[in-house]
Formats: sequence, structure tokens, C-alpha cells
Amino acid sequence: MAVCVAVIAKENYPLYIRSVPTQNELKFHYTVHTSLDVVEEKVSAVGKALADQRELYLGLLYPTEDYKVYGYVTNSKVKFVIVVDSSNTSLRDNEIRSMFRKLHNSFTDVMCNPFYNPGDAIQSRAFDSVVSGMMVQAC
Amino acid sequence: MSIPDYMQCAEDHQSVLVVVQPVGIVPEDQFFRIYKRISSVCQQSIRSSQRLLYIRYRHHYPPENNEWGDFQTHRKVVGLIAITTCASAKEWPQTSERFHGQKEVFGSTLYDSRLLVFGLQGEIAEQHRTDVAFYPDCDSCPDLERRVEDFVESIFIVLESKRLDRTTDKSGDKIPLLCVPFEKKDFVGLDTDSRHYKKRCQGRMRKHVGDLCLQAGMLQDALVHYHMAVELLRSVNDFLWLGAALEGLCSASVIFHYPGGTAGKRAARKPSISQAADSGKRHRPGAQELLIDPGALTTNGINADTSSEIGRAKNCLSPEDIIEKYKEAISYYGKYKNAGVIELEACVKAVRVLAIQKRAMEASEFLQNAVYINLGQLSEEEKIQRYSVLSELYDLIGFHRKSAFFKRVAAMQCVAPTIPEPGWRACYKLLLETLPGYCLSLDPKDFSKGTHHGWAAVQMRLLHELVYASRRMGNPGLSVRHLSFLLQTMLDFLSDQEKKEVTQSLENYTSKCPGGMEVITLPDGLKFPPVPFTKLPIVRFVKLLNLPVSLRPHKVKGLLGENMSSKSPFIYSPIILHNRGDERCKKIDEDTCWLILFSCSLPAALALPAESGLYPVTLVGVPRTVGSITVNGYHTSVFGVNSDCLLEGLPGVKTGGCMVEVVPSLPRLLLSTSLPRSPHVAASEDISSSVALQLFNGETQTLTVTLDNIGTETLETLELSSKIISTKEKLLGDILNWDIQEAQSHLPLLPGCSLSLTVNIRVKLDFSGQENLLPDLSDDGISVTGLPISSPLRQVLKPRPESKALSADPGKNEHTHFKTLEAVMTFKYSGGGGHVEGFYRELCLGIHVDVEPSVFFTRVSTLPATSMRQCHLLLDVFNSTEHELTINAKNNQDLLLYASECQRMAIQVDKFEFESVCVQPEQSQQQWETERQQAQGSLINSTLSIRWAIISFTIGEASVEGVLNQLVLDHLQLAPLQWDVLVNGKQCDCDIVTDCRVGDPVSLEVKLTNHSKKEVGPLALTLVAFQDYQNGIQNHDLQDAVTFIGSNTFYIDKVNPTFSSTCTGALLFLYTGDFYLSIKFQDDSTRRDLPPAFFGLPTVHIRALESPIENGA
Repeated sequence: MAVCVAVIAKENYPLYIRSVPTQNELKFHYTVHTSLDVVEEKVSAVGKALADQRELYLGLLYPTEDYKVYGYVTNSKVKFVIVVDSSNTSLRDNEIRSMFRKLHNSFTDVMCNPFYNPGDAIQSRAFDSVVSGMMVQAC
Repeated sequence: MSIPDYMQCAEDHQSVLVVVQPVGIVPEDQFFRIYKRISSVCQQSIRSSQRLLYIRYRHHYPPENNEWGDFQTHRKVVGLIAITTCASAKEWPQTSERFHGQKEVFGSTLYDSRLLVFGLQGEIAEQHRTDVAFYPDCDSCPDLERRVEDFVESIFIVLESKRLDRTTDKSGDKIPLLCVPFEKKDFVGLDTDSRHYKKRCQGRMRKHVGDLCLQAGMLQDALVHYHMAVELLRSVNDFLWLGAALEGLCSASVIFHYPGGTAGKRAARKPSISQAADSGKRHRPGAQELLIDPGALTTNGINADTSSEIGRAKNCLSPEDIIEKYKEAISYYGKYKNAGVIELEACVKAVRVLAIQKRAMEASEFLQNAVYINLGQLSEEEKIQRYSVLSELYDLIGFHRKSAFFKRVAAMQCVAPTIPEPGWRACYKLLLETLPGYCLSLDPKDFSKGTHHGWAAVQMRLLHELVYASRRMGNPGLSVRHLSFLLQTMLDFLSDQEKKEVTQSLENYTSKCPGGMEVITLPDGLKFPPVPFTKLPIVRFVKLLNLPVSLRPHKVKGLLGENMSSKSPFIYSPIILHNRGDERCKKIDEDTCWLILFSCSLPAALALPAESGLYPVTLVGVPRTVGSITVNGYHTSVFGVNSDCLLEGLPGVKTGGCMVEVVPSLPRLLLSTSLPRSPHVAASEDISSSVALQLFNGETQTLTVTLDNIGTETLETLELSSKIISTKEKLLGDILNWDIQEAQSHLPLLPGCSLSLTVNIRVKLDFSGQENLLPDLSDDGISVTGLPISSPLRQVLKPRPESKALSADPGKNEHTHFKTLEAVMTFKYSGGGGHVEGFYRELCLGIHVDVEPSVFFTRVSTLPATSMRQCHLLLDVFNSTEHELTINAKNNQDLLLYASECQRMAIQVDKFEFESVCVQPEQSQQQWETERQQAQGSLINSTLSIRWAIISFTIGEASVEGVLNQLVLDHLQLAPLQWDVLVNGKQCDCDIVTDCRVGDPVSLEVKLTNHSKKEVGPLALTLVAFQDYQNGIQNHDLQDAVTFIGSNTFYIDKVNPTFSSTCTGALLFLYTGDFYLSIKFQDDSTRRDLPPAFFGLPTVHIRALESPIENGA
């Protein structure tokens, strides 16, 4: 399903980034990195509107030739970015949403870990397996 | 048309295009100087109509783009300014020819042209021509701007006439079909009379007129025309031109809404207040009607009418609509493959508008679209340009990351493998511009705070590219700097393999160009600060090591003030000097080589193994001058990169720096001894060397200390002191003795010379044995602890029939264990400059002595001697050694003791006058007591001088000091009251027998001399005579034999100190015989406060003899 999943800290540095191993990892780094522009823009635009009723899901950030990039921002301004293959037309918006929800839940678990230092790279195995699950479905 | 102009913006639709070109040979700088002056005339208010004309200058314009001039008139080259230099009149015809040739290129569209000739003088220059201007050179053309303005005005006139021409010629005549170059063949053979065709012609013409109106400064008219054109073209589905009309509408609206322009700083428009005012004024009455009848337009629309606001609002698009229309227009353009450039430019223009509106999201959509516009085969240069512009535009809308991404792509494009000559310089420059987008600064200081957070993978890639680009650029220094930076800041993110690669390439680079600490400045002023490798190696802890104690200079405390005052305004205080807050302050001798110093010129060559873990490194430096040195960093060379690392910048190190005070040089002494060096480490760390030796208790050893002056300064002073390290053992006397005078006589000692000093080591520990462990000899009943017993003939020595063997019991061997004594000899020495400044050095020699017990005195007692002035000291001596030994005292004969044998020895001693020894100090009673006891002990000891000798090899002495108790002392003390008994005027003592005759009165005199400090008396003495039968029976019943003449009781009154008192009596012996007289004290009360020994009166032995015959009868 997803080809790349990334968690980005409030200060816009990556906490976690994982992509399908078959492809050039650096490319996804660039893709996710540049998508942050759009995330920021969207968040700032939404911020002006009703702050409390804010939708966490940002929707499609931007489409490239090969991929679609989706974004999600938690209330603590941690960003999730999921890159999916453009060719996968069967994927619906709802499925993307549920992926983000799952990701968010797992991230919450990570944050609940008293041994996790907020701001450090995520190394949780549980989180890893959740992400793997999202990526495996594609195949 | 294939070359897009990425710089275009909406308001360019309003301007007229003038091409400025050189003709013939014109130096580039000259040309651009003129070009700059010309292009300063970019907006011109037309005198006649109060309208503004905007001029766009280009020095290069592809003629094919000119062919699209009908489609959008701002693409049409309407003016040509040619610049030429002409040295002589001969060249003039040729130049003129060329100018005409140039005109031909844009000939079809040109309204007017000018030729500016520089350098030509004389006849030809005199002639007055409107289209040619002559100037002597490019610096003296003051009316250049004036000329250009004239030229612009003439263009305006043509433009205005064209506009009027187009607007009015709707009457009857067939409207020509305007078309873009690629359409031309499509219309061949089309029915020109059809309604559809006519409408198309009309629509296109309306649009064209709108363009002209816009250019001519009639914004409202232009809007009206565009609106009509949109209507007309929509009805005939002429999408390309419909798009153009919509774009025109957008451009006009943008110009109206954003008079400041949308191009940003690049082409900031002149203050637009006047223009806004103008646009109001320009508007003619009945603007609303214009919608209905645009053909009725007149040129003199100068009447101001405020009511026109309504119409304007209607014609002009709202900001939201502008974007909508742009989108529509672009979608129409998109239908035509050949209009790619137009579409791209429209996108760019729309993005600029959106950037002003701050609608980044929509702008990004336009840009995203622009990315996908295929312009066919682009040259590499065009690609670079395109990516750069995309990057710029993304930057404009605040998408810095995206901007950086495209800039990087552009940079990579510069060096694409298809390019024959890669532009590494340009690539490098572009890469540098991407740094902010990736949140990367090239200052290592920004990375020193905590862990690095960022897009390490992306940043690392960028740094790698920077390194590569700079290397290919031919600037190895730069690539070394970037690579160092990469290694320093991204170390945590590099895998081991990558680390290896990076370090390897760094070494490769530095082999050609070593990295240093200087700031690298690029020609354009960009500075790269140096990158010190604080993580390679990681320094965890820095400490200034003090010099070894033996070399550490000390300040002479006695020389306060006089030396320091010259250096410091503060009064010297040792506390300040040694302990300045947290700073570590060490004093270091000038020419001593044991100190920690980093800035020394001789670098410590050190190879740290990879992944070594913590590795202590000691750096040693030699200061060259006196003063203070602050150590605030260290210098390393890693992989060929030299770095100066400041301690304060290190994350794990808290020390900010270390202070080293350098004092003038002092001599250095090397100490060697005659005894082997000790493996023992003495208790104190200050000891530079130590010796160890093993001695029997009481033995003396000689130690020769040799001092070599190995420094460069002359040794001037030498002092010696010793200290016994606190020990539980009771020590008698000094352990170390030396003669400093002898050594000091060699001073001053020149460098290279040596002197030697003899030190006697004598150990005298307590010789007393522990009673319970030692054989007790007191059970023989001869020891005396109490009052003297009058047994004058008691034999001194009573050898024991059998000695008690001790070796059987291992528990009793404890006392044979070694005892340890440690002493430190301190040599203080000074000389040279340091001596003048009041510094000295200390050399400590530790002496470790294992003391083996030799003899013990297990018991001490006294026995009175026959004389009251003497007594016998009985010592039970125990040989604890494994050897036979002899012991003697005061010239007595030797006493042989076998191993572990105990014997008693008796020494006859004169009683001592302790009173003279004792000093009355102002100490506590207890202290005074012990001191007194010690003094007495040593006196006794020196008198006794007991010596032992182990027959085979050594001799020593033994001391009784520790074993004497108060009781014994009391017995050994000579009474301060001296009693002299004189019989017949003759001194009488114990052993002396005084002869007298029977019948003769014997005078008896008792004299008391008070040597004590107190007065004594009064005392009463009674004489008692008795006979001793030597069998223990004493006969006191002698009234018949002895008669006292006078009283047998004497009375002595008070005797003051140093005075004496005498009392005399007499007695008469009636029979011959041996008589004894004992003198007893009658009153005990006076004796109570004085020791009994004070009253030791001799017993008088008188032998009464027959009267001689000759005297008899």
C-alpha cells in the first residue's frame, strides 16, 4: 500500500522514516522533505480557521508522477507523511485515513513509553511492525 | 516560439518591447553601460495625454518570438536601438549598412528605430538626423536619456495611431484574421465569408485592440475590449485566442489591483500613486456604455469622473476571479502543443500574482502544472534556467524546501553527463544556495549544541555533492573544508562503512591540500568558517597535570612583598596563587620539560588506534619565557586536517581553560644514594625517590646522598630538613643525622657538578618488651622496687642457671616482627633567576626502614649500692635476634646472650642529679612530666651507653629510655639533700670503716646541705648504735658498750636552698668491736612531702680498737 511512511517532529526533522527497500531511499527523503512545505502551508492555513475543530488529516499534499503524498498532523504538530504509488488507483481516501489513524495510535503508544525521550528517533519495534503492516499490504 | 521568458509577469502585458543591440564591434562593458542608461527610461508619461507608457528593454530577443507579436502585442518588438562604435568616417557606410540589416530582422513589427554612434566625429557627425545620434564616446553623452525619451514618445505616437486605427476600422471593411505562426497553414482554404470565420476575426481583433489599449495606458478600455473578445471567441471555440483574451483580462486586472507590480524586487515599479490616480483620471465618462459600444471610444479620454467606479468594478476582475481566469486560460493553452511557452509563461505570471495574494497552495498547483509542461527538446542550459526559475518561484511562495530541491536539480543539471563542459562552478554556486532550504549552515558552531536534528540523509547527500563539486571546480581547499564539515557534523549518522569512505577520501584530498583553520572566503564574499574536529577524537576530560613534586617550584614564603610587589599590585598571598577559584593554576619552571602545554611548537606525535575507547594522552611542552600561559584548546591533525579545538566548545568538557604560571628557571638536582632504590612506595606521593633498608633496633647505617646539578642554572642554596612520617612506634632520638655545613661548603654548584652528603640513619625504637610476653625474671626475689634495703654486700650479678627458651611458643614470636619506620628528607634548593624571584624546588628522599628487634629490656629495677651516691641498675636483657650477641654497658665486661636468651645484667651507676636537667616549662603538668622523664631517660642512657654487638657482623646500641619507670627513676635520682657524716672529721660512707679507739671520744658531725630549691626542715635525728652479727641478727642492746656524750638526738632547723646546716655530737666506745650507727629520723611528718630517697643517710661503720699499748695504762 504505502511505499514510504515518515514521522516528522514538531521542529520538522524526521523521527522516523521508512520506505520500501526496493527503491532508492534517498528519493523518498527528498519527497517527504519537500512535502513539508505543503504541510506547513496547510497547517498555517487551517490554523487561522477554527483551531479546535481542525481536521488532523491533511489529505493529498501533492501528486508527483509516480507517487501521491498524503499528510496528517497531530495536535502536537507531529506530522505523518505517507507516500503511496500513483498507480494504485484502488486506494480510497478512507483507507488512507485509517492508515493515518493506525499510525497515530501506534505513535501514541511510543510516546507513552516512559523510556522514550520525546524528540529522539523512534526505534520501537511495535511501531516498526505497524508500519511494516501498512507497507506489506501493497504487495 | 520555443524559448520561454521566465521573468515575465502580468504587468509586462502593459509594456512595449524595445530591443537594444550592438552593431559591429562594441565592447561588452561599454554596451551594458549604455544599456543600463537606456533602460532607466522604463516608464514615460506622455505629455499630450497624461498617460504612461511602459517600456521593456531586451538586448537579446529571438526573432521567432517576435512572430507571436500579433497574439500578444507585448511580445512584438516595436523599437530598436542600435549601439555602435565608429572610429572614422570611412567605417560609417558599413556601420549604417549593418544598422539597416538589423532593422530588417524585426522590420515587420518595428515602429521606430535609433542608432547611437560613439566615437565618430567630424563631418558626418555634424549632420542632423532623427534616427541617428553621434557621441564622441560613451561617457560624454549627457542627452542620451533625453534622446531615448524622444524615441519612446515617437513609439507612443505610432502605437496610439495603430490603436485608433484598429478601433475605428470596424466599418464595413473585412477584418483581417490575426493568427499565430503555427495556425497559418490551418486556415488555408477556409471559407472567409462564413459567419463563424468573421466572428473569429472580430474576436481576435478585439483582443488585439485590448492589448494595444493596455500598452497605450488605457486600462479600462483594454478591459472592455478583452471582455468583448472573450465573448466573441467563446462563441466560436477559438480556444487559443480565448485563452489569450482571458489572460489579457487577468493582466489588466492585476495591473489595476497590484499597481506595485508582481515581479517582486527584480523590476520594482516606480511609485504608483500617480499611476493609480491616472488610471482614475484616464477613465472616461460612460464607462458602462463602453461595454455596449466599445467602438465609440475616443482618444481624449481625460475627463475625470468618479461615477465611473461602478463600471470599473464591473469590468475589472476580482482577485479570486483573476486566478480562476488564469486557470481557464492555461487550460485552453494546454490544448495546443505549440503554445507550451505561452502556457508556461502564463503559469509563471499566475504564480507571481498568487505569491502577492499569499495563496501558496494554489500557487504550488500552478507550479506543479508548470513542471509538467513539455516544451519539447530543451537544451541543457534551458533546463537549468527552468529549474532555477521553478526554485525561485517556490521560494517566492514560501516553499523553501521545494525551492531547494529544484535548485539542487538545477545544479545537477549544470554538470549532467551529456554536457560536454560541465559547469562545476555554477553547480557549486547553486548548491550553496540550497543550503538554507535544507536547514544546513556551514558553520560548525551551529552544530555544537546538543544532538543534531535534521534530515541527515538529505543533508549528507548535499554535502557530498558540495565536496565533489568543489573538487571538480579545482578548489581542493574547499572540498577539504566541506568534507571535514561532513565528518564533524554528520558523524553520528554515518555508518561505519561510510565513515571509512569519508575518511579515506578526506585523506586523499588532504594529501594534496592540507586542511587548516583559516576561514575560506569565496570570491563572492561567502565565508566558510574552519571546522575543528572536536569529535575526532572525542576529548572527554582535560586536566592540567602538575609537575612532579621534585620539579615543582615553590615560593619562598619569607620573601613576601619585596619580590612580588614589582609584578603585581596585590600583596602576595599563597592562597590566591595556588587556588584561583576553579581555575587550575600550576606554576611551571621555564626550562623544565614536564608540563602540559598544547601550543608548543613540537607537536606530540600520537597515533590513536581506531575505536580505541578512552585513551589517556599526556602532552608535554616547554615554555620559553616567563609569564602566564592559558591553555584554552588543543591542536590536532586528523586525516591531514589541522584543527584548533577550543576547550570551551567541547560538549563533554567543562573546563574552559587552564592557567599556567611560568616562573624563572631554577636549577635541577638529581638525587642518587649509596643505597639501592626502594621498591616501596612511600606513604606520601611527594616523594621523588626513596631508599629502603633493614636495621636492627639500635643499629646505625650511613647513607651517602649524591646530588647532581643536571639543570642549566647554578645551585646557590641548599637546605635540608627531615620529617618522620607519623608512626605508632615510639622513637628514641633522631633517626637521621647529617652535617649540612660540609655540603654547603661546595656551593654554589655549577651545572654538571655534584656534591655528596653523608647521612647517618640510626634507629632506636623502644627497647622495652611487653611484660606478659617476655620471660619474667622478677621471681627470684632479688629485685628491688621499694625502699633500699641495707644489704651492702649483695652481689651484683646473679647469672641464671637456665635461660628460658622462648622459641617453643610461636605466639610469643610476635615481638620479633619488623617494625617500620619512614622518614622523609627534604632538600630545598634554589638558584638562578628563580632564586631571585623567590622560588625554590624541593627534592624529597623517602627513607623506609624495617626495624628488626635486637635486644629487649624486659624488666628494670634498681638495687641500692653501698654508697648512697650510687646504685645498681638491674636490666633483664632479652636477645630477640637469631644471633648470638654480646652486650655491655659503661665499660663493663661483655655479657653473652644466645638467641632468644634472657639474662640479667647489673650496672653500677652514680646517681643522677636530675634537678639540673629539668627545666621548668610553662606546659601542662602531664606534658612537663613526660618531658622531664624523657630528659632524664636520655641522660641516664647516655651515661649507661649500652652497646650490643652481633658477633659476626654488626654492632648497635640499646637504650633504656623507654623502660624506665618513675619508681626506678626515683631511685636513680641523687637526693637533693646531701648528708655528710663525718667521724673524727673524716668523711664516712657505707663501705668505709672508721677506726677509733676505745675510750676516746669520737666526734660525730652530721651535715645537711640543701641542694634542692625548697627549704627543708626542721628535722630531728636520732642516732642508734647497733651491732650486726652478719647472720641477720642485730644487737641493739648496747647501752654498756657505747655511750653518747651529750644528746643522741640532733635537731636541724630549717635549711634554705644552697645553705647547709651542721650538728655535732660525740660518742664513746667502751669496748672494742664493730659498731654501726644508724641515723634515724624521729618525726615522720616532715618526710611526707619529700621522697624517701632524700633521706638516705649512710650507716656509719666504726671499728673500735684497743688503745695502743704505748698509750695504754
